[in-house]
Amino acid sequence: MTPANPATEGVSAPVPPPFTFRGDAALCPVVTRALGRVIDPEMALNIVDLGLVHDVSVEGQAVSVALTLTSAACPVGELIVDDATRALLAALGDGYAVSVSIVWDPPWTPARMSPKACVIMGWL
Amino acid sequence: MPRGRSLLLALAGGCLFAGVAGGLLRLGVPVGIGVARALAHGALMIGSLGCVIGLERAVAFGGAPALAVPLAAALGTLALLAGWPAGAGVLLLVASGLLVALSTAIVRRQAAPHTVLLTLAAGGWVVGNALFVAAAPAMVVVAWWFAFLVLTVAAERLELTRLMPRRRGAGVLFAVAAALLLAGAILTIASERDGSVVYGGGLVAMSLWLATFDLARRTLRTEGFARYSACALIAGYAWLAIGGLAWIALPWVAAARDTALHAVALGFVVSMIFAHAPLMVPVILRMRMRYTPAVYLPLGLLHASLALRLGAGAFDAHLRQWGGVLNAAAMILFALTVAYGARQKGPAGNPAANSTR
Repeated sequence: MTPANPATEGVSAPVPPPFTFRGDAALCPVVTRALGRVIDPEMALNIVDLGLVHDVSVEGQAVSVALTLTSAACPVGELIVDDATRALLAALGDGYAVSVSIVWDPPWTPARMSPKACVIMGWL
Repeated sequence: MPRGRSLLLALAGGCLFAGVAGGLLRLGVPVGIGVARALAHGALMIGSLGCVIGLERAVAFGGAPALAVPLAAALGTLALLAGWPAGAGVLLLVASGLLVALSTAIVRRQAAPHTVLLTLAAGGWVVGNALFVAAAPAMVVVAWWFAFLVLTVAAERLELTRLMPRRRGAGVLFAVAAALLLAGAILTIASERDGSVVYGGGLVAMSLWLATFDLARRTLRTEGFARYSACALIAGYAWLAIGGLAWIALPWVAAARDTALHAVALGFVVSMIFAHAPLMVPVILRMRMRYTPAVYLPLGLLHASLALRLGAGAFDAHLRQWGGVLNAAAMILFALTVAYGARQKGPAGNPAANSTR
């Protein structure tokens, strides 16, 4: 039996995340929950529901996240990267190294939004 | 806090308030600064706003070279204040040309209708500055400067509408409004009279589009910062329509001039600044900020004082002066409120995070 990971304690059963996740599956809900606390201030929605998270990979204790933004002309990218890094470090605890980057390909489309975001924005 | 950005933002803020002082001087309010320099009111205001827009775009693009855009705009505006209009004209032309280049680089990163429109809007600033250098009639220069600001806001709002299911025809109607605005601005160069009517039609069309299709109608039902921002946006759209009607009336009603200028510049543009600054200032300065409901105070004062100035003030010069003084007070109060919010460092990363889901 593997030793309990303090980062995953008390986290409910994983649901499929709306992004590609590679690495220790037990960390997936922790990462999803942490990123779900990061708000895109202009949209007033969190970045997971908005579909801004493309890819998360965990290799050992190195976590890298690829995010996109809805607009290349909007300066909130830096803030979102900072907030995502902070949220992940707080959720994962000491010993993890987090790197968050912004990618433009593939571009964001409204189809990436979660059902919850679609309801809020009037799609459903 | 990044020093270069802080300095540029402080310069833009300083020049903006010098521009406001110039505006008050024009209304006959003694403000204790040199008349000739402060009277470059319009150029000071647009130069400062160009600096802020350039700074925002440079932060979005990333990298120190992009800061050349707001730097050139800040130097141009400072040159105006220093009483060197020839140098100011060249620097502002350079700033706007660099903004076109930066916006084109952003189009290469993401080719989308809104990024293309932002580039077109920056082109409007180039034309406005060229006309300013060529000493074209004031309203012709202003039509292009306003086209820069209105199309920049419209492009950013257009981008946000992608989050909502867009009603049929919305894209075509947007293109019609933007084309009308640009056609009007072009026409003013040949005929100020005809151009002003078409241009006003473009402003009204754009305001109707924004009032009908913008995300603000949805975020008005949220809370905290998002709701405040939506209030500022919707009030701004109403003033844009009033400003547009005044541009249409200009050839026949000379008294519509103050409304044509300030319903757009204060009612629309400054309200847009009020809507976005609590969000963008912390983003640009990389600092934390807490949402405070006190932001409604300057917003309410701005719109009430503008109604006083352009409503009752149209018939009474004294009330018009008071309206102008209170317009300036609203802007000072807003700056103080944002500074207060920045001191109340919130636990979350941005003002929206404290108030929304």
